Amino acid sequence: MLEIKDLHASVDGTPILKGISLTIGDGEIHAIMGPNGSGKSTLSNVLAGRENYMITKGSIIYKGKDLTELSIEERASAGIFLAFQYPTEIPGVTTMTFLKTAVNAQRKARGEDELDAVKFLKLVREKAKELKVEEDMLKRPLNVGFSGGEKKRAETLQMSLLQPSLAVLDETDSGLDIDALKIVADGVNRMRAPDRSMIVITHYQRLLDYIVPDHVHVLAKGKIIRSGGKALAAELEASGYTDLTESAA
Amino acid sequence: MSDQALTYLDANSVATEGPAWLDVRRKAAHASFADAGFPHRRVEAWRYTDLSRLMAKTDWHPAAPHDGAVLVPEGRSNPFSSIASHKLVFVNGFFRQDLSELDGLPEGVEILPLETALERGTKFESAFDANGPEAMAPIAALNTACARDGAVIRLNEGITLEQPVQLIHYTPDGGATVAHTRNVIELGSGASMTLLEAQIGWGGAYLVDRVTNLNLGERASLTHVRLEDEDTDAVHLSTVLGDVASNASYKANTLALGGRAGRLQSALHFTGEGAHAESNTAYLLRETQHLDSTIVVDHAVPGCTSGALAKGVLDDEAIGVFQGKVIVAPHAQKSDAKQMSNALLLSRDAAMNAKPELEIYADDVQCAHGSTIGELDGDALFYLRSRGIEEQTARQMLISAFLGDVLEQISHEVARDALTERATQWFEVKKEGEV
Amino acid sequence: MVATRETVEAVDEAVGKYKYGFSTDIESEKAPKGLSEDTVRFISAKKNEPEWLLEWRLDAFRRWLNMEEPDWAKVNYPKIDYQDAYYYSAPKSDDDRPKSLDEIDPKILETYDKLGIPLVEQMALAGIAVDAVFDSVSVATTFKERLAEAGVIFCSFSEAVQDHPELVRQYLGTVVPVTDNYFATLNSAVFSDGSFVYVPKGVRCPMELSTYFRINEADTGQFERTLIIVEDGAYVSYLEGCTAPMRDEHQLHAAVVELVCLEDAEIKYSTVQNWYPGDEDGNGGIYNFVTKRGDCRGDNSKISWTQVETGSAVTWKYPSCVLRGDNSVGEFYSIAISNNLQQVDSGTKMIHLGKNTSSRIISKGISAGRSSSTYRGLVSVHKKAEDARNFTQCDSLLIGDRCSAHTVPYIESKNPSAILEHEATTSKLSEDQLFYCRQRGLDEEEAVALLVNGFCRDVLQQLPMEFAVEAQKLVGISLEGSVG
Repeated sequence: MLEIKDLHASVDGTPILKGISLTIGDGEIHAIMGPNGSGKSTLSNVLAGRENYMITKGSIIYKGKDLTELSIEERASAGIFLAFQYPTEIPGVTTMTFLKTAVNAQRKARGEDELDAVKFLKLVREKAKELKVEEDMLKRPLNVGFSGGEKKRAETLQMSLLQPSLAVLDETDSGLDIDALKIVADGVNRMRAPDRSMIVITHYQRLLDYIVPDHVHVLAKGKIIRSGGKALAAELEASGYTDLTESAA
Repeated sequence: MSDQALTYLDANSVATEGPAWLDVRRKAAHASFADAGFPHRRVEAWRYTDLSRLMAKTDWHPAAPHDGAVLVPEGRSNPFSSIASHKLVFVNGFFRQDLSELDGLPEGVEILPLETALERGTKFESAFDANGPEAMAPIAALNTACARDGAVIRLNEGITLEQPVQLIHYTPDGGATVAHTRNVIELGSGASMTLLEAQIGWGGAYLVDRVTNLNLGERASLTHVRLEDEDTDAVHLSTVLGDVASNASYKANTLALGGRAGRLQSALHFTGEGAHAESNTAYLLRETQHLDSTIVVDHAVPGCTSGALAKGVLDDEAIGVFQGKVIVAPHAQKSDAKQMSNALLLSRDAAMNAKPELEIYADDVQCAHGSTIGELDGDALFYLRSRGIEEQTARQMLISAFLGDVLEQISHEVARDALTERATQWFEVKKEGEV
Repeated sequence: MVATRETVEAVDEAVGKYKYGFSTDIESEKAPKGLSEDTVRFISAKKNEPEWLLEWRLDAFRRWLNMEEPDWAKVNYPKIDYQDAYYYSAPKSDDDRPKSLDEIDPKILETYDKLGIPLVEQMALAGIAVDAVFDSVSVATTFKERLAEAGVIFCSFSEAVQDHPELVRQYLGTVVPVTDNYFATLNSAVFSDGSFVYVPKGVRCPMELSTYFRINEADTGQFERTLIIVEDGAYVSYLEGCTAPMRDEHQLHAAVVELVCLEDAEIKYSTVQNWYPGDEDGNGGIYNFVTKRGDCRGDNSKISWTQVETGSAVTWKYPSCVLRGDNSVGEFYSIAISNNLQQVDSGTKMIHLGKNTSSRIISKGISAGRSSSTYRGLVSVHKKAEDARNFTQCDSLLIGDRCSAHTVPYIESKNPSAILEHEATTSKLSEDQLFYCRQRGLDEEEAVALLVNGFCRDVLQQLPMEFAVEAQKLVGISLEGSVG
């Protein structure tokens, strides 16, 4: 699915990622953990192709193709989905309008027919119900005035509509209470599939109790300093990051 | 050519017998003002304040020096008198050595009357060349042609003046007299000071016209606290023309109470990145007073921030004017500018005119302005009264809170308290004819 | 910066294509070139007008000769040579005016089809009555009979002069006086046609009324005159659309619209203005100097202006409301999009005269390319306007670093019980929002269109459905059917 080799990246001239290598197979869930400032969010932005994130060295191969040559929206249509840590508010554009525009933009890019209004509405209602997204929320402007939980549910709803191949969940647990977290995690787990991989970025082990990863990587100062199975997350919870990051320095 | 302007200039302009650099500028200003005349309502920037009409039909002539004791009426004294300061006092526009306190100035600090500075051969070419934007240029020209004296304050690079400087103007005499003064304030790189200015008059019908040229060097900082309290028969004009260099800061807070008609205008122009300028004005008017607060901020370079806030309380037949203009030049990206005018109309016959403008030629900017005009919040008034506070007190509380945004921002604590006290006194003046 | 440039291109794509730029080859009859009393007499004679109207025109012309072209707006254009234009141009078949749609020159029908205004079928299906003005002459008015049953008069201005002279004489020039301004006075002298609407007491007009204006001839000025009278308790929704062919030279358009709104009446007036804006170097395009004013003459009356301004090289336009009746309401919803070298100076005047009057102004300006967009507005509360209310919001969006946006509001209150609130902001298209949309698969053009649509939503919502679609397309948006 994804192969990252010796990735270096900088933001506005400041180097953040300093040599990351990571291989993600089909259907695998990888958790990336690390303290604040370790480069977790930079990695997700680089994967999505954000413009001021410059790759200075290394490569990202996605489904056998060089990802870095694709524009933001080409990556999206190729199946890369970023669930934002802080979803952007878009005033004046209702959630429903946005969902339809995004779904059909991707379908069009892949040469598929666009969904008509009736089919689309049916699909959205179905998915929305699963995620406990109220009809009323769909009529409101996207993310504007949404609570933390609503924003994350709206992101998860988008993910389930867009059916990505590689989902990058950036600190999806931040700002969620335990009930909201369960709803979101349920939504994510329902999407686990042999042809869908996920990168779960988080600071805390808590989320990984609900979305159980196949692999766990610890990111510190722009490098992966340790990798292991899901047990590594529990270990971190007990010992904290300090030991690891100090030994890395 | 304007006959009104020519007549005025004949009586009031200064003879060109000074230094050559000044004479050239006085002559040019004379010609320019004679041509433009007093701005009137058909001049866009003066549509709400017809200076030509205000200056009509009177035999305007220069005020005479006032040498004796200055007997300030009760309640009108210098609000900053208790603050240890370096002090320049002008009476009828003329410097009074005996009332001023200029001893013991630190090294690198120059505070003296303009006349003395000119006698010493100091040149102020750039200050007298700065006429500000179109809205202010006629007044700058009038002042250049007619200014006899004024204050010069100069701080060398890196100087922090511990004591504030007080600039006090008294106008005890009137009768169609005029006083034009010109202040030049220059702060070198990294210099900082606080200027406390009070303009107090009780001489009846007179015109005072004060132009201040500010030049703030890099990282310089000027805090400007001002009281405008002229006679209710007087016409007053106060103009600040400022150049603000990179990372420098200018903060002005003004309380204006006085005059039959007046215009407080500021033109602040950024010359280097990272600079900040703000000018906040609270004005309290009654009877047929008219006050115009006009500010133009020119974001000529990227990355500067500016703010302007005007808070007006208008009673009786008073008229308030706010004109704000933010200009963001092409390529002045990351400019951040805010302007707000709030006016409270306390009487059936009061009126307010606001014209907040934005002129934006760069895209990566945050600019906003707002304006509100209305009466005191009836719900708030009811709430206070339902808690047993009598109406007059309740109104006063709400108005004080309204003005707080300007007055409470004054960083010099004693000056803040003094101006807040002045504003409070304003309410206590019993209105004529009130039962 | 790369993103910005791409954004600009996306907007060019979305806004820049002028698909109405064809011209139609039709024989026409013109007044001699130039402007004189003779021109005025020629137009009046062509229209077979009564003596009083000729005198009215001549009075306007003589006054116009002593007026000066206003220069206070933030627009620059070379001096207009008023003698170098035709002031009257009519399709020749006007000699033998079409009695019904079947008799209209097929080429004109074809033109309207190309414009997306099928005069017959689709409008009929949509239930909209249409008056089409081609150059200066009204060529077709549909649904006359059905409207007549309801007592509604909807016809060309010329027909109204012939058939309802008493109504025209009673109201013409009472909202926009002959001497109101340079362009309105010029219009009063040489106006050729336009639409006339009269809705009698208590009638809710059974369908949307719509006029499409089109300038076809070269070197022709277009001067329509529209008069809408809505009596006590009546209601009408009126839509206006405008296009013109692409020509290298500039063309002048100076229209006057007068709305008279009596007690308890309501007028909703919507415009989609898409006159040819000129090319990217500023060649050609319409100079659009329009005076639109509504008079809320009766108590509880309401006038609502909604405009989507995307065309014209120069726009000078301030649809206004005189809120004379107590409790009357004025609204102004505007989207002004400028690109390339377009210049827009537009806004509104809300004059509060009556008690408890209220007004609402929502203005959204979008500037791209090297264009300049100015909101200029006046809110004036007079002494007797007890408890008047105004809320104004002016937002400007800048796309690219070579355009400019200006806001020039005048806010005047002489009544303490009035509450006036004004807010304005200027900002650029948010990079975060663009990134978010693109991460979900929208290409840059779609993302810009979506975001601009969101920015304009408050105004778009005010448009009648039939126009909203056209407007959204113009704004560069493909919503493709509505959801949610």
